[in-house]
Amino acid sequence: MIVKVDNLVKRYKELIALDHFSMEVREGEILGLLGPNGCGKTTAINCILSLLSFDKGEVEVLGKKMTPDAYDIKRQIGMVPQEVAVFENLTVKENIDYFCGLYIDDRSLRREYVEEAIDFVELKDYIGFYPKKLSGGLKRRLNIACGIVHKPRLIFLDEPTVAVDAQSRNFILEGIKKLNREGSTIIYTTHYLEEAEMLCNRIVIMDNGKSLVSGTNQELKAMITTTEKIIVRFSQDDDGIMERIGDIPHVIEVTEEDGDYIIKFENGINNISNLLEFIMENNLIYTKLYSQLPTLNDVFLELTGKGLRD
Amino acid sequence: MKTLLRNCIYQGKNVYRDMGFLFWGLIYPIILVSFFYIAFSGISNIGLEDIDIGMERENPISAILETIDMVNIVEVPRKDANRNLAEGNIDGFIDEDLNILVNDSGINQTMIKGIVEQIKQMNSLNRPMENYDFEANYIADRDQEANGILVIFYSLIGMVSTYSVFAGIETVSLAQGNLTNIGARLNITPLKKKDFLFAGIIVALAFNLLANGLLLLFIEFVLKMNLLREARYSLALIILGNIFGVSLGIFIGASNKQSIGVKTMFAIASTLFLSFLSGLMSPDIKIILDKNLPILGRINPLAIIGNSLYRVNLLGNTKDVGVGMALLTLYSIILIFGAYMFLRRRNYDSI
Repeated sequence: MIVKVDNLVKRYKELIALDHFSMEVREGEILGLLGPNGCGKTTAINCILSLLSFDKGEVEVLGKKMTPDAYDIKRQIGMVPQEVAVFENLTVKENIDYFCGLYIDDRSLRREYVEEAIDFVELKDYIGFYPKKLSGGLKRRLNIACGIVHKPRLIFLDEPTVAVDAQSRNFILEGIKKLNREGSTIIYTTHYLEEAEMLCNRIVIMDNGKSLVSGTNQELKAMITTTEKIIVRFSQDDDGIMERIGDIPHVIEVTEEDGDYIIKFENGINNISNLLEFIMENNLIYTKLYSQLPTLNDVFLELTGKGLRD
Repeated sequence: MKTLLRNCIYQGKNVYRDMGFLFWGLIYPIILVSFFYIAFSGISNIGLEDIDIGMERENPISAILETIDMVNIVEVPRKDANRNLAEGNIDGFIDEDLNILVNDSGINQTMIKGIVEQIKQMNSLNRPMENYDFEANYIADRDQEANGILVIFYSLIGMVSTYSVFAGIETVSLAQGNLTNIGARLNITPLKKKDFLFAGIIVALAFNLLANGLLLLFIEFVLKMNLLREARYSLALIILGNIFGVSLGIFIGASNKQSIGVKTMFAIASTLFLSFLSGLMSPDIKIILDKNLPILGRINPLAIIGNSLYRVNLLGNTKDVGVGMALLTLYSIILIFGAYMFLRRRNYDSI
C-alpha cells in the first residue's frame, strides 16, 4: 500500500470532520475520493499530508509514518490544492521553476522538467504571463503544473476541476490519465461522479467524515439492490398506473418526475420486455422509453438516502 | 545554501514586483518627505532671510542694529510705518523710545522684540552695547527653530527604516499553512519553513535598506538637505530600524489569522502612531511628551531612531545612542521570540 489511513478522527470543537475514516491506496492506481461538498475530503487529504493535526488514528505514506517533518516522504509527493496556490508576482515559468526547485537540485534536470510540465499543461504561449492575467482554466493548469513538475510518485489532486469550463476540464482529466500512465499513483477528490466513474480505478465514497464504501466502479454498483432504471413516458394519464407498474416482477420502486415514470428494478434480466408486456396488456401508448444502468449517485443515494449534489 | 539563494531570488522577485511594496516602501516615503519639505520650507527658510526693521533716520539704535548681519534697516518716517507694515515692506518698526510696531506675529517679530528688550536691558544696566553679541544669540535661536523642523525629517527616516515590516508580514503569511494557499502548499513540500522565513528576512532587509538608501539620496540630492552627517551611527540606527521592522512584521504576521491587507493596515497605523509620538507630524508633540511623559520618548522605538539620528547628526552627541540601539535589539529579539512561539507548531488545527 502506498497510503494507509486507519481510523482517522479529526474534530473542530464540536464538529467531527473525520469520523474514524480509513482508506488504502495501492501503487499505480487512481483512487477517487468521492463525496458531497463538506463531507471531509479535503480534511482527509490535509491530515494524510500532515498539514492538519488530527485527534486519533494513523497515517502511513510510502510505507512510513507521515509527520510534518517527513521530508524524505514529501520529496516523493505532489499536491494540487483545490484553491490556486501560486505566487502572483512570479510568471508562469518562474512559478513552475520555483516549485520544481524545491525538489530538484540539478539545474539542467530542472530545466528539462519545467519544459515538460509547461508542455504537459499546454502553457507554452503563456510562460511570461503573471497568474492574474490568466483565465480561470489556465490558472488551474498552472496550479497543476506546479504540483506535478517534479514527477512525483504519489499525487494528490483536490477537486482540480472545480469552476473550470468543460474544455479545460476534459484537458485536465486527460492529463491526469497520462500522469497515471507515466507511473504516478493518484488520489483524486471530487464531488463529480462522472469524473470518478471515468477516471478512477477504485473509489472511496465519503459522507459526514466517514468512509462509506470502497471498491471499483462495478463493485460499488453491485453493492446496491437497484440494477437497472427504466424511464418511460405515456401519451395519456392513467389513474392508478403507478400501483400497477409496481406489480411488475423485480420492480423496487416507481416514482414520477415531470411526467416521466422512473422504475427501479432489481436483478431482473427481462425488465424491459416485462414492462413492454405490461404496456401492451394495458393498451398504453408510450412516447419515451429507455433503460439506465445504476450510477454512483444511485450508490450514494441508496447508502445515504441523499444525492451527491444535494 | 542553494535553497536559501533560490528562495532569496524568487521571494525577491515576488516582493520587488509587488506594487504594495513599491508604494509603501519607496513612493510613499518620497511623497511624504517631499510634502514635509514643501510644507515646512517656508518656516525653515526664515533663517536665511534678513529681518527688515523700519525706523527713522535719527533713531539712536540704528547704529547698533547695523552691526547685526541679519538685520536690514529700512528708513521709514513714523507716519508711514503702518502703511509699510501693511504692505509687508518691513517686519517691524522701532521708534525712538524703543516702542515696537508690528502688523503680524512670527519669528521675525519675536526676534525684533527680543533685540529691543536686550537693548533696553543693556541701557538700564548702563552697559556698553559693543559687549553684546546680538548676532550670535539670535542666529542660535533661529537655528533652534529650524532644528525643530528637522526633527520631522529624522522621524520620517526613522519611520521608513521600519517599513521592512511589510515584507516581514508578507513572508510569514506565505510561510504559514493556515494563512495562505501558498503557505499550505509550501508546507507539503520538502522546503523547511525556517529556510523560507530566513530568505524572506534577507529579502525584506535588502529591499527596505535599498528603499531607505534611495530616499536618503532623494533628500540629499533633490531636496538638498544634508541630514546624515555622521554616517557610522546613522547607518547602524537605520539597519537596526530595519531589523526591528522586519521582526515586528513577522510577529504581526504570525500572531493572528487576519488577511495580509488587514495586517498591513495595522502595521501602517502602528508605525505612523509611534512616529507621530516621536514628532513626525509636529515637533510640538515630541516636546510636550518629552516634558510630561519622558519615558515614552525613551521606549518608543521610532522615537529612539528619530531622536538618535537627530542627536548624532545635528548635535554630534552620541551619548545614550548605544542604549537606544540596545533597546531596539532587545525589542527585535522579543518580537522574533514571540513570533517563534506562534510559528513553531509543525501542523495546524485548522486551515
